Amino acid sequence: MKTTFRDIERLSAYLDGQLPQAEKTRLESRLAADPALAAALEELRQARAILRRTPQRRAPRNFTLTPKMAGIRPPVPRAAPVLSWASAVAMLLFVCTLGANLLGQFSFGAAAHMEAAAPAHGIGGGPVEEAQVVTEAPLDSANAVTPTPKSLLLTAPEPTAEPDARAAEPPQEKARQSVSPWLVVWPSLAALLLGAALLTRWVSLQAFKKKAEKK
Amino acid sequence: MDEPALIRDAQRGDLDAFNRLVLAYQDALYNTALRILSDEDLAADATQEAFLSAFRALNSYRGGSFKAWLLRTVTNACYDELRRRKRRPTAPLEPESDDGEEMDSPSWLADPSASPEEQLDQAELEHAIQHCLDALPTDFKTVVVLADIQGLDYTEAARAARVPLGTLKSRLARARLRLRECLQAFWELLPTAFRLEGERGA
Repeated sequence: MKTTFRDIERLSAYLDGQLPQAEKTRLESRLAADPALAAALEELRQARAILRRTPQRRAPRNFTLTPKMAGIRPPVPRAAPVLSWASAVAMLLFVCTLGANLLGQFSFGAAAHMEAAAPAHGIGGGPVEEAQVVTEAPLDSANAVTPTPKSLLLTAPEPTAEPDARAAEPPQEKARQSVSPWLVVWPSLAALLLGAALLTRWVSLQAFKKKAEKK
Repeated sequence: MDEPALIRDAQRGDLDAFNRLVLAYQDALYNTALRILSDEDLAADATQEAFLSAFRALNSYRGGSFKAWLLRTVTNACYDELRRRKRRPTAPLEPESDDGEEMDSPSWLADPSASPEEQLDQAELEHAIQHCLDALPTDFKTVVVLADIQGLDYTEAARAARVPLGTLKSRLARARLRLRECLQAFWELLPTAFRLEGERGA
């Protein structure tokens, strides 16, 4: 009887002890009577024997994972929920302070310059709106310092509104001469916050590294 | 090694526990990848990739043979690698000789008639098996590597290869048949003791 592929499947499963009992008995009686089938079984057995003897190589290196590979980050310090915003706040304060500082330095000279320039500009036939802004400039030191297009003039004062208001409240001469206490307090606060945030981060990172080395 | 405990710890994110499992199974994964991909460097890459994705997917392991579960990840990594290689083939399939010209047949296949008494050493046996495995379609190669080389039982091998049990049986039978035909060429060179062992039924 010709050996079919279905027979080969049965023989292969038989070899692995994976044939149901009834099928196994039937196959065994056929094997006893059919030398071709028995030869096919022998060939499969030999193939399996060789494959089982396949030399096993040692892994060329260790495939252990590092914390970095596994995506494990150092633990976030306990104070972090507060301090994680510290650098953002510090940056905001820094920008405000810088703006106010520049205003303090340049407002006098710029205002004088603008006062002189305003009439000429108006006569020159510049846009009416711009001329209006320029004529208001001596009252508002923030506007005065930047001879920029109108769009910027209107938006720029917003963040600095508070210091401007403070600067504008007293008579102008006095405001220019005395340094606002905020100009000292804000940068100090910003530096302090930034320093605290960085220090906490660094300390926590060192602790994490130390722990990792111990392991 | 208390494997279940290590797996539990690893599932909770303990990298040390996972790395102990890596050390225990890296040879099995590397050999599986090597037989499927037939390239040492690619096999190492696939092994590393497999352990990485195993660590990330560790919570999807729900008992059963952990080795079979890991072999499934390395099989996936091998298939990914084969797909990449298909998209942009970079190396000739035939080995190159020293002067860079492709050879018709590798030197280890060159002269089987040299000495009938000469025994195949381990390296030659390995080359012969790899040569015959490479002649198989990947799906057939995968099941035969998992079942006969890695020794997984039918259920485990079917899970690792992501095929139904019936498909596994059928592919395994076909792969063994074709390997037997291919290995026939090397049969006379096999050590006598091994031939007897094969004939006795290992």
